[in-house]
Amino acid sequence: MMQLIGSFSMGLILSLLALGVLISFRILSFRDLTVDGSITLGGTVAATLLVAGWNPWLATAAAFAAGALAGTTTGVLATKFQINGLLAGILVMTALYSVNLRVMGKSNLPLMKEKTVVTLAQSLSSPDAKWSIGRWEIPLQDLCVVGMVSVVIAVVASTMYAFFRTNLGLAMRATGDNEQMIRALGVEVGWMTTFGLALSNGLVALAGGLLVQYQGYADVQMGIGMVVWGFASVIIGESLVGSRQIGLLLIGAVMGSVLFRLLVAIALKWGLNPNDLKMVTALFVFAALVLPNVLESFRRRIRPVH
Amino acid sequence: MLEIEQIAKTFHAGTPNEVRALQGVDLKIENGSFVIVIGTNGSGKSTLLNAVAGSFLVDTGRLRLKGQEITRWPEHRRAKYIGRVFQNPFSGTAPSMTIAENLALAAKRGRRRGLGWALSSSSRSDLNERVRAMGLGLENRLDNAIGSLSGGQRQSLTLLMAGLIMPDLLLLDEHTAALDPKSADQVIRLTDEIVRRDKLTTMMVTHSMQQAAHLGDRLIMMVRGKVMYDFQGAEKKRLTPQDLLDRFEDIRRSDKLDETVASMLERQYV
Ligand SMILES: Nc1ncnc2c1ncn2[C@@H]1O[C@H](COP(=O)(O)OP(=O)(O)O)[C@@H](O)[C@H]1O
Ligand SMILES: [Mg+2]
Repeated sequence: MMQLIGSFSMGLILSLLALGVLISFRILSFRDLTVDGSITLGGTVAATLLVAGWNPWLATAAAFAAGALAGTTTGVLATKFQINGLLAGILVMTALYSVNLRVMGKSNLPLMKEKTVVTLAQSLSSPDAKWSIGRWEIPLQDLCVVGMVSVVIAVVASTMYAFFRTNLGLAMRATGDNEQMIRALGVEVGWMTTFGLALSNGLVALAGGLLVQYQGYADVQMGIGMVVWGFASVIIGESLVGSRQIGLLLIGAVMGSVLFRLLVAIALKWGLNPNDLKMVTALFVFAALVLPNVLESFRRRIRPVH
Repeated sequence: MLEIEQIAKTFHAGTPNEVRALQGVDLKIENGSFVIVIGTNGSGKSTLLNAVAGSFLVDTGRLRLKGQEITRWPEHRRAKYIGRVFQNPFSGTAPSMTIAENLALAAKRGRRRGLGWALSSSSRSDLNERVRAMGLGLENRLDNAIGSLSGGQRQSLTLLMAGLIMPDLLLLDEHTAALDPKSADQVIRLTDEIVRRDKLTTMMVTHSMQQAAHLGDRLIMMVRGKVMYDFQGAEKKRLTPQDLLDRFEDIRRSDKLDETVASMLERQYV
């Protein structure tokens, strides 16, 4: 049960990553690989500022801002300098590796006695208060953390929902849907893409900032493969809600992230070697991307010819 | 008024694929005039419209709209004054967004887009009214994704969107070419209606001699990146589809002549 709560919290935190990837991957149709770097950036910035004694919420907000800056860089490379989007993301991700080392001054930074948003949430309850359902006893502090993260997600997701119904948000969605059209309607596509990538990577870095506070350390390697996690969550989310409607997509991304994390926990429990985890994730995304097409062509082939 | 002064555009300049798509086009289009553009395939009709809309910048020449020099303006800046409908029905609308959302996007053409709600209940009822007036029954489907509509319905909506805030210039590039005859008729009727009602300054490319003869108050015919004929007023009114076909035949013949002359010169000198 403890493990379940842990996976659940982790899935919730990473749903911010999924929401970020949703913006680049689905709304803008931009395959943004900055993510691996920007989630780490969020983590290193938050951890460093916390160690420096910043207010935890301010440090978390700074993580968002740092990620937004990284996304802006990718956007400028892709739109102003006309570099292929995949390559722009890879360039920024690679550069961020050095940035992250510079920010922390070393490759790993533990958070020991620092006040974090997680300890703030835990302090709402006494350390040994328990909540028992059936034969399980759940520490109330863990529930406080889940509650805190849920509130953050609810605020972020509903802000996004509102944003994508404003004139600006509508224009961003149209940018990914039909660039020619939205340009003819007076939107500067390059700027809009850059803005979207800034939001996207801001959210990803926010996930990184919360993640280090939850796990108690930042590490320059923590972002490896995260973009694929994001894709997986978004894809699972889409199949859960079965719709491209914006509100449902947001809910789907959160559910997808949590479900994926739980599936991974179960798989590990059943004896999946943790070293194989990234391979399995990659295979999963591969299958999710390819299977629909394969099924479609298969269906077409077996359809009787008249 | 749109003033086009000696504009030229060459694609892939200096390569074996060089195409001199516009070779010095000069036009003055008065406010409220409805100009039909015809010409053989590849004569530069689309390129002319794209040059005006700003899809690319011209190599030489100048463009002026409402007295403003727009030659160096990027496309999104010109959009404030220009409404467009493309040949491909997929080009003019965002497929995964709803009809209402697409219209809301068009209601802000060239304007600042801020954090106000795109669809308030008052703007919705306004849009509903505009869609109902088209008479396609789409007012009941405002919340359906555009992707679920037929090409003709999409093109009608794109037309409505282009005119939603009154444009100073409406550009239509063979916007019925991809439609079945019935939808094409419908879209043409709608076009005529909107252009007349709002007295829109319009350039319309068409491949249909019927449309060319019966619509508009001016007709230009393009050949190899240049304006070859320009009919206005009474002269335009008198034109029949057959007249236009005859002109095309003339061009075909003179093209052939050019070819034989060229090959004769080649034989003699190369
Ligand atoms: N973006 C482009 N890049 C390269 N060549 C182009 C481009 N647009 C048009 N052309 C070429 O310019 C010529 C004129 O094209 P276009 O204006 O589309 O003709 P049409 O009169 O049939 O609309 C053609 O030879 C076409 O291949
Ligand atoms: Mg054309």
